[in-house]
Amino acid sequence: MTLSRLSTLLASGTLALAGVAFAQGNPPTTAPANPATGAGQQSPTGGPMGTTGTTPQNTQSGTTTSPPPTSSSTMSTPAPSSDSTTMAASQPRPARADRN
Amino acid sequence: MPTATEPGARPPASPRAKRAAPFTAASFAGVVLATALTGLPPQPAGAGPRPVAEQFAQAAVAAGDNLSQPFAVIDKTAARLYLFDREGHLVASSPVLLGLARGDDSVPGIGSRAMADIRTEERTTPAGRFPAEPGTNTAGEDITWIDYDAAISMHRVRATNPAERRLQRLASPTASDNRISYGCINVPAAFYDRHVKPMFASRGRAVYVLPEVAPLDARFPFLRVSGN
Repeated sequence: MTLSRLSTLLASGTLALAGVAFAQGNPPTTAPANPATGAGQQSPTGGPMGTTGTTPQNTQSGTTTSPPPTSSSTMSTPAPSSDSTTMAASQPRPARADRN
Repeated sequence: MPTATEPGARPPASPRAKRAAPFTAASFAGVVLATALTGLPPQPAGAGPRPVAEQFAQAAVAAGDNLSQPFAVIDKTAARLYLFDREGHLVASSPVLLGLARGDDSVPGIGSRAMADIRTEERTTPAGRFPAEPGTNTAGEDITWIDYDAAISMHRVRATNPAERRLQRLASPTASDNRISYGCINVPAAFYDRHVKPMFASRGRAVYVLPEVAPLDARFPFLRVSGN
């Protein structure tokens, strides 16, 4: 009985040591094949951390690669108030068909 | 023949305009102007409507509604565009073409509809205060957006459809035939390049489109406020 317990304890210790040895033999990576696993906190722009407020869309110095909408497209931007006194944002609007 | 005008070539004001009360204080301007403008009958696109736009401009400046910026006033009844400096002094004016249908509102969602799907009665130029902005249409033409979501802009007159006779309509002495567009404001090309484009190269400057159906103070609350 005592011998059996000793064998179980020895096997458990061996398994734990093997796990520690395996873990120590694999260095951490910052560029895993699947970014969702173990990549940690990253900048959404792909740049260095600490540059908040930037998104991939506006890091191109005012240019855009998205195609202009056609006349059949719908816009989700709110309609301007007829008595609004606020200044418009600085970003130019995408090209769209006017009413001639 | 109506032509673009500038301050140096101002025609004399009409007798009706001479009878209009001068603006002495913002507290009185709103009520007087709203009452006077509402009762005015349709006038030709010549010199007659100038006092209407000028009085409105002075009221807007007195109320600070132009945010100390240059601005434009479009008199739909007279089919004429007036440009003012930040202090309300007239800079230039020109006849324009407007939406075919009489009315002061845009049909909801019309900005995303194809031109062929817009019915005759829906071809309105909306009235109100609009923060204008420079932009581009899908043809690559530089234009001035008035109401982006309703696809209303100011642009150089387009004579692409000879049957519409847009150039002739602009040149005629009457305002009634200046209603032909789908809602956009068509401006003589030279006037657009010389005055409109430079003035609205900066975003947010106001374009006031005077209503032809709705009460004036319903579209411009500052007229009511300044009258209190």
